[in-house]
Amino acid sequence: MPSIASSPTPPGDRSGPGNPADTATDDHQRHGHQHADHQHGDHRHGHAVGRRAWGPLLIVVPTVVAALLGNRVGWFTDADLRLWSTLFVSISLQALPFLALGVVISGGIAAYVSPDFVRRIVPKRQVFAVPAAGAAGLALPGCECGSVPIAGRLISHGTPPAAALTFLLAAPAINPVVLISTAVAFPNDQMMVVARFGASFLVAIAIGTWWARRNDVQMFKRLTDHQHEDPRPRWQQFVDVASRDLVHAGGYLVVGAMAAATLQLVIPRSALDAVADNELLAVLLLACLAVLLSICSEADAFVAAGLPQFSLTSRLVFLVVGPVIDIKLVAMHAGVFGRRFAMIFAPVTLATAIVIAVVVGQVLL
Amino acid sequence: MGRAALLCIVGAVALRLVITGEFGNFVQQHMRIPITLAAVLLIGLGAVEVVGDLRDGAVDPESSRRPVGPTVGWLLGLPIIVLLLVAPAALGAAAADRIDPLVPAEPATNAAAVEPLDDSDGPVPLELYEFISRALWDGSGSLLDAEVELEGLVVNDPDVDDGFRLTKFAVSCCAADGLPLQVMLRGLDTTYENDEWVRVVVQWRPPDDGVIDPEDFVEADVISIEVVDDPPDDPYETPF
Repeated sequence: MPSIASSPTPPGDRSGPGNPADTATDDHQRHGHQHADHQHGDHRHGHAVGRRAWGPLLIVVPTVVAALLGNRVGWFTDADLRLWSTLFVSISLQALPFLALGVVISGGIAAYVSPDFVRRIVPKRQVFAVPAAGAAGLALPGCECGSVPIAGRLISHGTPPAAALTFLLAAPAINPVVLISTAVAFPNDQMMVVARFGASFLVAIAIGTWWARRNDVQMFKRLTDHQHEDPRPRWQQFVDVASRDLVHAGGYLVVGAMAAATLQLVIPRSALDAVADNELLAVLLLACLAVLLSICSEADAFVAAGLPQFSLTSRLVFLVVGPVIDIKLVAMHAGVFGRRFAMIFAPVTLATAIVIAVVVGQVLL
Repeated sequence: MGRAALLCIVGAVALRLVITGEFGNFVQQHMRIPITLAAVLLIGLGAVEVVGDLRDGAVDPESSRRPVGPTVGWLLGLPIIVLLLVAPAALGAAAADRIDPLVPAEPATNAAAVEPLDDSDGPVPLELYEFISRALWDGSGSLLDAEVELEGLVVNDPDVDDGFRLTKFAVSCCAADGLPLQVMLRGLDTTYENDEWVRVVVQWRPPDDGVIDPEDFVEADVISIEVVDDPPDDPYETPF
């Protein structure tokens, strides 16, 4: 999204060709929602009416939702609908503080850290930048939802995408909170902590290196394109960027939470036992489960500990895959980095995580 | 302006969940402070935007036209609508039927010895996790002959006609990672509704054949039972 708030175009000038940024925004809104035309029209008459133009949305959305839920009662029993709602609200509420931390950091970078400074502290050569970004992931205590807006901001601020993506993968997987909860969940298998740390770090480095070699400058064009000086005071930039990132990433988070809540209900966990004895199937199954259940990286160790019928290696796969790629993250990646990126990134990351976790598991566990 | 309103509403609802304690149905208690901070941040961001918009708007009406962002951002309001329409409750019998029960892992061999239970002053209150853990792994037999007080909700079992599965969920972050802890209560002659909260005094019933199998439910004989009207503020256990 280009930053529009500072646009000085006077009201009478709208039809002129002078301001491409405004035109783009109008187009976006017109295609984005049927009410955009309505809003656009209102603006010609002054802002007092224009502000009220969002009112219909607040009514339309709940109505649509109520209609959808009404249908769903026919599919699930009443108890199932309530359980779905509990899971959905839980995942959303749990993620909110981490998302808030993420957008505060993202807004802080945007407003108070100059791109020059970022370019100075990130090592020039990707050989060093990628491991450095991975190590930086150690310092952010949170789960995966918060690191997505931060990585997006880092890229738009001139960080090499390879380094930003390494950070994106490392931060939720190897931070102290996650490692401690893993140690607590596996009191008799402390090597699990070492294996999780090692495998997750290797995955982040491998993906970062892969992206560095790929050297795709087009991919993040829309993140890096609008580098212009923002004339507003810094605190205003901070508020604007933090709000925008929160609403943006938060919307995709909700999409992911809906998918995860649905899948948690649909997948019968007792059916898992059938394949637990076949190592290959177990690895693939737990990898899929990690993607589909979208459990927060701070909690997934306890869920893995609750699957004792599976081998330690297959449970390591669950712990390494979950924080780097799951349904909720695919939705957020598509929103923040673009759909094309998510389509490439998800399968490659999933495959890399499975292979590295299996190898590390064979060596250490 | 729409975005500011959305932020304020989401923040206000999150704050309400914390103040009423309802958040405990969805996430672990230790999330209280993080969620409060996030809610205050959201309300603050929204309020600053409103003030900024009003001030800029007074000078130049067009400058208050800030794009809300992609339409998907509005979905942030969806959990609130679901909260209103469906009124989701804490995890209960419906979830317990779908998820395999959590079996406490064998404590590490170097863990401190289990403390004996002293019920001379009345039944000893225990969490379900600890009760099950002692039943399965405590070689010293601390549960034998001890009267223990447990609390949980009712999950009826079609295979058992003189009792039910006393259930609480172990939650480490949010309800989506909740796993049921279950003790099979026996020796009851009245039936209870699913999801009713009860407080019971029980005595552990070792397996008839003396072989303890973690795959089987831990069983207990009920000495007394009372229905709890208000479920506890924290309906979950955090054994980890």
